Amino acid sequence: MSFQYVLTEAFNNIRRNALVVLGAILAVFISLLLMFSTLVFGEIARVNTLQWSEDVRVIAFLRDQFRDTESLMDTVRSWAEVEEVFFVSKSQAVEEARILLASDEAALRVIEETPTILPASIRVRPVDLDEYDLIVQRLQASPGVSDIVTAGPQVDALASLRDGLRVVFWILSVALGIAAIALIANTIHMAIYARREEIEIMRLVGASNWFVRIPFFLEGMLEGLFGAALAVGVGVGVYRLALDRLTELPDFVVITIGNDFLVRWGVLTLAFGVLVGALGSSLSLAVHRYLRT
Amino acid sequence: MIRLQNVTKVYDGGVVAVQDIGLEINKGEFVFLVGPSGSGKSTLIRLMMREERPTEGDIWVAGKHASKLANWKIPHLRRSIGTVFQDFKLLPNKTVYENVAFALEVTGRPRSVVKTQVPQVLKLVGLSANAARYPRQLSGGEQQRVSIARAFVNRPLILLADEPTGNLDPATSVGIMRILDRINKTGTTVVMATHDHAIVDAMRRRVVQLDRGNLVRDQRGGVYERRAEPPIATGAAEAMEDDRPEPGYAPPVSAPLPGSHHDDHSTAAMEAAESPEVEETPTELFQAYVEDHPAEGDRT
Repeated sequence: MSFQYVLTEAFNNIRRNALVVLGAILAVFISLLLMFSTLVFGEIARVNTLQWSEDVRVIAFLRDQFRDTESLMDTVRSWAEVEEVFFVSKSQAVEEARILLASDEAALRVIEETPTILPASIRVRPVDLDEYDLIVQRLQASPGVSDIVTAGPQVDALASLRDGLRVVFWILSVALGIAAIALIANTIHMAIYARREEIEIMRLVGASNWFVRIPFFLEGMLEGLFGAALAVGVGVGVYRLALDRLTELPDFVVITIGNDFLVRWGVLTLAFGVLVGALGSSLSLAVHRYLRT
Repeated sequence: MIRLQNVTKVYDGGVVAVQDIGLEINKGEFVFLVGPSGSGKSTLIRLMMREERPTEGDIWVAGKHASKLANWKIPHLRRSIGTVFQDFKLLPNKTVYENVAFALEVTGRPRSVVKTQVPQVLKLVGLSANAARYPRQLSGGEQQRVSIARAFVNRPLILLADEPTGNLDPATSVGIMRILDRINKTGTTVVMATHDHAIVDAMRRRVVQLDRGNLVRDQRGGVYERRAEPPIATGAAEAMEDDRPEPGYAPPVSAPLPGSHHDDHSTAAMEAAESPEVEETPTELFQAYVEDHPAEGDRT
């Protein structure tokens, strides 16, 4: 009967203060929606700039017959304007392509059938991230290099947009998260106040502290969970909608992210909502005078 | 059962509520705490139920060192103490039955225990017929009996009552006292703070008198005032003496208090009634008792 009692009490409390509870849930929802979209957008940006991570600005694809990679890398590394050189093998290139071309089934099939179709490459991080013309010229003259691509202005723009949005979104979602905790604490506060007589009697007759507190604690966690579920639902929904509508995107932009990413971060966002709720109710339970012994 | 050693309680702001109290109450005793308002009766009750900690001194209650008890252990102490207050403290949105069952439910007792204990204790206080009613549908005396039923439903070792008749008229108070006496007969230690002279004088139990936080008297079979014949309670006291062979002798069973007929059916049903009932309660006695307390009769 205990668990049923606890759950019934929590739901009764939520019903009793429906409006205040709604406010708290909305705060959790907005906060976590921001967090979730930041994560999704960050993932999209990461996927799109996968090759250009680690501040790589120049990629030199190698001929299949070329064997002397080691000495080429030593040479490139010795250039004054080069900070770091990475080697990406044919098989690593396939791994990368699987993520980059996730939405292009035809291309994926080709890669899976003939994995050797993708060339190996070396990737260069310049000392000065905006100045790599000289590196390109020298690489063109190097043996074994078939083709060279450089990070265009789009990549730079996407990266800086991502960084900027990330900062703004995180600040907003943390601020709203704190507001959500405070609002949940407030709903719990009201629930405790509404039941102060009952609590007084429970304490008189010797109900254990957890028995008195658990329903309130659970109420906070439920509110957090509702808010988080809304956030994940709306977040995934909007993302799916965007996937359907945005068919006219330029070739180099990929907006498909893995389902496992959505599931993993969806579940974590739910857990985070429960955590926000738990924090809110513990805050309220800790300061409440009717529960103080 | 209860032991206080050099107990002093000073509230924030320096108000000394009780000072250097030493008191030992044995199992099965019935003790009146008497004294004017502010003399420290309620503080003593609150200290015994560990609602407060003493500023100095030690308190043992039901085998536990209450004054040193960690906060999280208080619930366990409370389960061996029943508490009754002047203002009943019933939950208005619960029926009589639910109010009493509440005490068992929130301490995690199985439903089977609730189903057997609650009707039993409602019978004891004579409210079986009112189980489905709400507190607002009951008289003050009936509400207090519900509160006593709730305090007693888990068979506590100790019953602490702080002015249980404070809001009730004398006739109703008699009914309450009969129930407390009955509960005491089951071996439960009863400590009752009161300034109802007539009750104390009629019951002739142990009287612990407080005055401005000091224990000034501890007398077995005592009356409210130290004086032999308290002016207010004369009628009742005399009447009681007529009823009893030896003055000052602690009354054996549920005899001493006059009761209304209203109470009789419940009395007969009380499970504690192992000892023979004294059925006849002289009407004159009851009349004398009521007439001597016109002031308290106005308070409800």
